[in-house]
Amino acid sequence: MTVQKDSERNETKHLHKFADFTEKRVLEIGCGEGRLTWQYAKETRVTFAIDLDADALRVATIDRPADLESRVYFSLAKSEQLPFSKETFDLAILAWSF
Amino acid sequence: MVHALDEIRRVLVPNGILIDLRPTLDHWPIEVASAREIRETGRMLDFPLGLADDEAANQSMSDAKQKGWFAREQEEFFPFFYSWDSPSELEEWIATEWHEFTGLDDRTKQATRSIWASADADARVRVKVKMLITRWRVAAQNLKAVSQS
Repeated sequence: MTVQKDSERNETKHLHKFADFTEKRVLEIGCGEGRLTWQYAKETRVTFAIDLDADALRVATIDRPADLESRVYFSLAKSEQLPFSKETFDLAILAWSF
Repeated sequence: MVHALDEIRRVLVPNGILIDLRPTLDHWPIEVASAREIRETGRMLDFPLGLADDEAANQSMSDAKQKGWFAREQEEFFPFFYSWDSPSELEEWIATEWHEFTGLDDRTKQATRSIWASADADARVRVKVKMLITRWRVAAQNLKAVSQS
């Protein structure tokens, strides 16, 4: 079964219409396999993406392009207990999964 | 969820931005789409669990606004298409991935199969998911509270 998601790239267009990612420190909550992450991470200073699904995070880490290895980090964490200090990020994305 | 929003507020800088991006149930249309034409074949069913999830998310954001944590700056709906090669693939996806919050009735399944069978060779089946994107900013009231803590 092959599914195509957002072939018209509406999500990417709206994400960039609503936020400027240039040189921002970004936290993404609910990153899954990183589908959304790859749409903006190249512009950021650093991106931390979290999820509760370890298998999805493994896929995201494997898929991470080499040029983003020092800029995009995936980790298993709960949104109710974020493992980060106060005022660490300029921008957060709450990506509700479905 | 409100606790998560409090955590997000904590890790954001003063004046930081929160982008809330999520699907919202609204009897998503099912379409058979080819390069030549797009035909709607029916609508998805919205199940109580999915509607309750939407309501809980709306309520959490509303609570965060009431508490003075975030101020809403911009909001829009936009379409997000999921597409498959055939109606059977759509049905399989719904049965395995979406069955808790949305579904298809038999009439719509039949209409989708029938329209797809007579459509152009490049026709795909797709669901037009209604997405909501909102930009929230850490509110001024929150900045005052943080500076006092």
